[in-house]
Amino acid sequence: MEDQDKLKILKQLLLSEEKEFADSITQKVEALHKIVHQKKELSYKVDPIIDEKLEEFVQEIPKTLGPTITEALREEIKNSQDAVVEALFPIIGKMIKKYIAHEMKLLSENISNKTKKAFSFRNWFRKTKAKVQGISDGDIALSDYAKPRLIQMFVIEKNSGILLADYSPLSDNTVDKEMVAGMLTAIKSFVEDAFQGGDQNLELIEYELYTIHIQNFYSYYVAAVVSGAYTMMFKEVLEDQIIDFAKNHVSNKELKNSNLFTKKIKKHFADEIV
Amino acid sequence: MKLSKKVVLLGHFGVGKTSLFRRFVDNEFSEEYKVTLGVQIKKKLVQLPDGRELSMIIWDTEGHSDSIEDTRKSYLLGSHAFIYVFDITREQTYSTLKQDLEYLEKHYTKVPAKVLGNKLDLVNEKEITSHLKSQNIPFDCLTSAKTNKNVQDFFSDLAKDITK
Repeated sequence: MEDQDKLKILKQLLLSEEKEFADSITQKVEALHKIVHQKKELSYKVDPIIDEKLEEFVQEIPKTLGPTITEALREEIKNSQDAVVEALFPIIGKMIKKYIAHEMKLLSENISNKTKKAFSFRNWFRKTKAKVQGISDGDIALSDYAKPRLIQMFVIEKNSGILLADYSPLSDNTVDKEMVAGMLTAIKSFVEDAFQGGDQNLELIEYELYTIHIQNFYSYYVAAVVSGAYTMMFKEVLEDQIIDFAKNHVSNKELKNSNLFTKKIKKHFADEIV
Repeated sequence: MKLSKKVVLLGHFGVGKTSLFRRFVDNEFSEEYKVTLGVQIKKKLVQLPDGRELSMIIWDTEGHSDSIEDTRKSYLLGSHAFIYVFDITREQTYSTLKQDLEYLEKHYTKVPAKVLGNKLDLVNEKEITSHLKSQNIPFDCLTSAKTNKNVQDFFSDLAKDITK
């Protein structure tokens, strides 16, 4: 036996255990190599762990980050109110904006009525006067405030400004109604154009003791001239009556025949309380 | 049945739109020039040959400087006719006429546009007519708001046209 063979046998005897261990390590490394480099295999092993961790993370976020995020948002909204309104405005839309404005005005009227009722000197004076004269407090109160009154009503074609119908419960002596209709339309067009309010419409013109209430429909608008206190309550009654009139009495036939339209509007509004 | 039509006067600054408007509606004329701001509206009742009466609501718009596209669009909506006025003594007032007419035709398809050359009292009618024709300037009528030449006839013809 040569020396080299003897050495080989000696190695086998001495290192057999280590060799087995090294082989098993090699096999494990190969298996791991296969798992790491094959997406499917890796996914099979790792996905359940990630899912579990993610679930934990989702459950923990509100507890850990929630207060921080809420505080940051609150601070941001507080510091950039204009930007927030700017961003939300198109989404909220004009209906909600109008609704809020409407509710605010009602609330404001309520508050001022209650304040007047509770503290005003005028109220105290009125009560005394009512007692002396033997007239009800309510009657005197009513005469204290100018009652809103419908002076004139115009139905005007939206684009052309052509007068479609009109109604004057008090007197017919006024400036040329067709020119009024044209000028109102020009003013309305100017305001709606100039301030670039998108598809928003001019709805009110106030001048001293008079208010022009404007209610817009698809192809025409109604302009009602009101004297006295134009209150939210009056506005609502007037709006309802105009909508009721438009819904039940305005069709293509009326829009094309101004005499018929005028007759109908006179009849409708003569019967109504405004 | 009541008959109402909206007619809009258009054109460059200082061509005499307001003078024509006042001449036709109130039969007045003033040498004083006042720039129209925005729009002014007047009504004229025109008797039609068939006995009907037309309420012609005339919108006198402020003049534009470059192109008709400068005119506020909302004033043009719902019109039954346009009257494009130019000053026959100032070439720049009809230099954009063709483009302006194309613009009107494109955006207000069904609305007829009449072209009117004003200030006829300042020129020789024959000469200016041949000049405008040689320049291929389309026009329907030449008028003078100052002397009232052709003004009433022009508006009467227009009334007939838009009520046909």
